[in-house]
Amino acid sequence: MSDLSNLLPILWGGFCTTLAIFGLTLLFSIPLGLLIAVLKMSKWRVVRYPVSFYISVMRGTPLLLQIVAIYFGSYYLSEYAGVDFSFDRFPAVIVAFSINYAAYFAEIFRGGIQSIPKGQYEAAYMLGMTRTQTFFRIILPQVVKRVVPASANEVITLVKDTSLAQVIAVTELFALAKKQQAAYASIYPLFVAGVFYYVANLLLSVLFAYVERKLNYYK
Amino acid sequence: MENMNESAPILKVEHVKKSFGDLHVLKDISFDLKAGEVLSIIGPSGSGKSTLLRCLTQLETVDGGFVQVDGKDMVVPTLRQAQGPLGSGPAVKYAPAKTLREIRLSTGLVFQNFNLFPHLTVLQNICLAPVRVLGDERKDARAMGRFLLKRMGLEGKENSYPCELSGGQQQRVSIARALAMNPKILFFDEPTSALDPELTGEVLKIIKKLAEDKMTMVIVTHEMAFARDVADKVIFMDGGVIVEQGTPDHVFRESGNERLAQFLSRFSKA
Repeated sequence: MSDLSNLLPILWGGFCTTLAIFGLTLLFSIPLGLLIAVLKMSKWRVVRYPVSFYISVMRGTPLLLQIVAIYFGSYYLSEYAGVDFSFDRFPAVIVAFSINYAAYFAEIFRGGIQSIPKGQYEAAYMLGMTRTQTFFRIILPQVVKRVVPASANEVITLVKDTSLAQVIAVTELFALAKKQQAAYASIYPLFVAGVFYYVANLLLSVLFAYVERKLNYYK
Repeated sequence: MENMNESAPILKVEHVKKSFGDLHVLKDISFDLKAGEVLSIIGPSGSGKSTLLRCLTQLETVDGGFVQVDGKDMVVPTLRQAQGPLGSGPAVKYAPAKTLREIRLSTGLVFQNFNLFPHLTVLQNICLAPVRVLGDERKDARAMGRFLLKRMGLEGKENSYPCELSGGQQQRVSIARALAMNPKILFFDEPTSALDPELTGEVLKIIKKLAEDKMTMVIVTHEMAFARDVADKVIFMDGGVIVEQGTPDHVFRESGNERLAQFLSRFSKA
């Protein structure tokens, strides 16, 4: 048990980093995903095609690779191309996670937006509402309800995906647990880390179930 | 007053044409309507009734002809059309966006499928546009909304959501929502076609009441008895043209038109 009292503060520190990656990724990727969803439905091909390409790359290559590419890519840019800019580890992780998750959210949001019947737009149009009013007051509130279940899946996956940040030596929960595993010569720390992830996702599931129930006031 | 109405129709439609690809849905539609009049449009499915309504409410664009609403030109033919089918380019020119919006605000549309906003309560459905589009005070809009609901026989339903109401109640809410914008012409696109037969009566009764209050209305409907009773003027469409138009008596009794007789006989059998 003294093992656990030594271990917990260390893992808690890593868990805070994990939570920071999680929170910041959601903060950036959800608005960005909404923007990308709208752009992908643009009537102009010059907008639509690059956005489709971006989504296909983000979904078609490993997130692990994207993290490495953002971090070392910016490093090589500053080293050899004379661009005076490179990411620190943590911001590189946030950028990689945000643009990756934005692509997934964008596809969920696009599906949600396109599932709203045409009659809703026509009713708003006949009432003289502008396109912006129609989107924010009529369409988006209904989209939110429709995308909650699919988004919950992404959010829960994100909690676990944060462990990929260790590839560029960001000391999140899993990285620290692995270090302790070596020190203890036991998989016990990894098991405790697993409990952290599990409890976090359990809370999220409860939260999402609550939100779904709250949104059930209309059909 | 009467003379003013005589001289200036509130809705003027001349030689309107509309095609979807090679399909000529509206071939040459002309009619007009005076303020306070009720027009019923009848005809078989696919005759172009709904398309005509969608063109007049700007949900579709016309390919030819002239439409004027409340003295404002909505769409006018270009010279090209007058000169015949020479050259390319559009045969009509629409009014600037600002005028089109003014026209849209003076026309209301009641949809076949209601198209209420499901995430908003009955009262919010009615008040949203008056507050956000017309800039009415919220409390004035709510008072107006309650008044309209009372007229629709829906007192006490203001805080219900559309999904909690029957089809007939939903359609009455959508009529109230359209009326809240104080339109000069109210269009109905088969307002009872999506309802169970026992619920059509309550909606038709409301529309009759509006007719008694001299609301100008254009009603596409399959309810023949209703079309006859409520209208000052009836149009029978078939194959994209107006086959017969006139007073209800003329269209339903005196017309010797064969297509019309055939169409009407289907209803008397049913």
